[in-house]
Amino acid sequence: MSRWDIKLSPYLYISPFFVLFAVFGAFPLLFNVVVAAHDWHRRAGMGDFVGLDNFTWVLRQPLFWRSLENTFSIFLWGGIPQLVLALFIAAVLDQNLRARTFWRMSVLLPFVVMPVATAMIFGQVFGQFGLLVPNLQEMGLLTHVDSPFFQDRLLSHVAIGSMVVFRWTGYNALILLAAMQAVPRELYEASTVDGASRVRQFFSVTLPSIRPTMIFVVLTMTIGGLQVFDEARMYDGGGTGGGHGGADHQWTTVVLYLYDLGFGDWQDRLGQAAAVGWIFAVVIGFFSLVNFLLTRSISSSRGPRVRISKKTTDAVIARARAAAEESRRQAAATAEPPTATSGADDDAGAAGVPRADVTKEGARR
Amino acid sequence: MRIDKRTAGAAAFWTTAALTLAACGGGGGGGGTAGEASEDDKPAELTVAAWMDFPQELLDAFEEEHGIEVVVNSFPDGASAQTVLRNGLAADGAGLSDVHLVELDWWTEMMAVPEDWVELPEVEDRWVDWKVTQGSVDGRITGYGTDIGPLGIAFNQDMTSAAGVATDPESFGAFIGGEDATWESFLDAGREYVATNDNYFIDSLTNAFQAAINLLPAAFEDPESGAPYDLAENTEIKDLFMTFADAADDGVSAGIAIGHADWGAGFQNEQWATVVTPAWMTGIIADNADGIEGWRIASTFPEGGGNWGGSFFTVPATGENTGWAVKLADHLTTSDAAVAWFETTGQFPSQLEAMARPEISDTENEFYGGQRVGQIYGELAEAAGDAAAGGFRGENFAGIQTLVTDGIRLVESGGATPEDAWASVVENFEALGFETAE
Repeated sequence: MSRWDIKLSPYLYISPFFVLFAVFGAFPLLFNVVVAAHDWHRRAGMGDFVGLDNFTWVLRQPLFWRSLENTFSIFLWGGIPQLVLALFIAAVLDQNLRARTFWRMSVLLPFVVMPVATAMIFGQVFGQFGLLVPNLQEMGLLTHVDSPFFQDRLLSHVAIGSMVVFRWTGYNALILLAAMQAVPRELYEASTVDGASRVRQFFSVTLPSIRPTMIFVVLTMTIGGLQVFDEARMYDGGGTGGGHGGADHQWTTVVLYLYDLGFGDWQDRLGQAAAVGWIFAVVIGFFSLVNFLLTRSISSSRGPRVRISKKTTDAVIARARAAAEESRRQAAATAEPPTATSGADDDAGAAGVPRADVTKEGARR
Repeated sequence: MRIDKRTAGAAAFWTTAALTLAACGGGGGGGGTAGEASEDDKPAELTVAAWMDFPQELLDAFEEEHGIEVVVNSFPDGASAQTVLRNGLAADGAGLSDVHLVELDWWTEMMAVPEDWVELPEVEDRWVDWKVTQGSVDGRITGYGTDIGPLGIAFNQDMTSAAGVATDPESFGAFIGGEDATWESFLDAGREYVATNDNYFIDSLTNAFQAAINLLPAAFEDPESGAPYDLAENTEIKDLFMTFADAADDGVSAGIAIGHADWGAGFQNEQWATVVTPAWMTGIIADNADGIEGWRIASTFPEGGGNWGGSFFTVPATGENTGWAVKLADHLTTSDAAVAWFETTGQFPSQLEAMARPEISDTENEFYGGQRVGQIYGELAEAAGDAAAGGFRGENFAGIQTLVTDGIRLVESGGATPEDAWASVVENFEALGFETAE
């Protein structure tokens, strides 16, 4: 009995994830290969084996390439502002704010709003009669078309990118914040002693220290950002004749294109849709790799070894200064009566220790 | 030894899983014919999948008569009901209700395998002929008609008066071409209207374009083989496309169709003076144009009339109570039921007797200035005739129609000239790589 317990229990404990993953992750993934290699009708199911025909068919579609362009454009408009904003917000939250928990929770609020709801509300705001456009046009901006955020391809990407920013910035900010909290405070003290400004500290201490988290955030952002669907699907309300990315497919994303092929007007294109899925998986994989390499090089521009040794040097200098201060203080303290030593020690500590130390104590409190 | 046990365990697990899955897929009878509706196998309840409100008295009446509770599986819109039905059919009936509402727009798709559906007994003289035609596959009736969408034109007489073109439904009818109105005369009226106005004549030309396509006997596909015609050589469609695209190029339409996020705001901002309006849309316009005076329904329609939408109650063959389900489908499509529905949701009946009922033909509609909307649509349905049933719709009809309609929307949004838009439509069509019919 106990032998079974020892041998089997661990597997049972972890099995829910693996069972769910097998059913909802691995199986569809593998089965998709089968679908992609056949003619596949939505109702009648599997047809003839066609090998790679579905893949070549997809690569010949102008709409596939257009949707790929759209996807990357939306990703850039959603991703870059998102990363910059998330870093900024995280850096602000990392400071000593009043009602810290309140602020931290509030940045997560947009994340709990359903993307469909976000898309419909943003669709109204960016609409021809919405909050934004009539006012802009009154000022003489964007008057080239009636409904700039729908008719102009680039502006529609900006609008959808803004939904992505709205939804994901807070989430990423919290992840980055968690990483920032783990940065040893000594590094800030030391750099403060060296006279580094807050901005300099951010770029030279914070950013290099949270590199692994940055890579994680950028990777998940890449994978998620390229899979934009709800926002594009519901941007124009998604009603009769809508929901597939505009008349000119201005904002059709790859996933939306896949959905339209497999589950939209066509009835026998599940095979082609599966092929789109695989092609896109390869594209995402490649792009994630590029981003991984890029992020790694950006957030460690000075090279890890140099950085660490410089910091060590800084820290050593800071420690030496503190030691000098200490000995001077103790020399002064010996003149005082012994009974007052402990109280004087505290006073001296508060007055004599470098300012960064006070900040540190404050932060930890 | 250890490996053996593990393998055995895994095998046992997967066998169980496979059996469970198989059990889910099983059940249900063969397709085609309905079971017996006998007292012995009477179920405690029957389920109906639909996306509109049900008149409660209709459900109560069925329970009173047969002692079967009717449970409505309600969907927010047709598209979600369509998805569930599509998946259910592909999974041997898993998750399906006893009776399903099917909309005309996706009827062809659902009927791809006629054996999925129970053949329903003929009920004589209940519906307009063309509704029965639409609801049949290979001569077998598989759907009992609920509502139809005879097409009319809603227009704002305050706006047309201000433009000096028409002051009431009669003069508006004359303005768009009178008895012999065609799409050309309608679009020319539109050009005249926008020449002196800074708003638009119509919300979007896509609905009008699709109404015109619907009148063609074989728009995109060869009825014999089901293969699509080569779009580049399809002069009938090209001419139609150019007619509407030229008007779109002339700024006749705002380019905002029903369903677009800006559609409601367009009414409130008085952006357009007319809308192609099937009967079921009258209530939707009343909601969206709430507070805007002057909307009326014209009794004139280009090319004699048309139809957009309407639904059928169908019985999936995999159901366990098909016999009783057929009875329920019948109960839900009587003239009494149609009248109750008209009063609940405003949908217009396909049942002949119901159309003539005073509840429908004599009801004055407050939003449309006291017009008898039911009567007007009854006349429009009658005038539309058999052509309203629509032409041949094969497997690729919906896809090609969307493709071509997108070309009109492209011109409406100022994204291309009519010629360029047609060229891009043809290019996209050719990339699809159909084996086209001659």
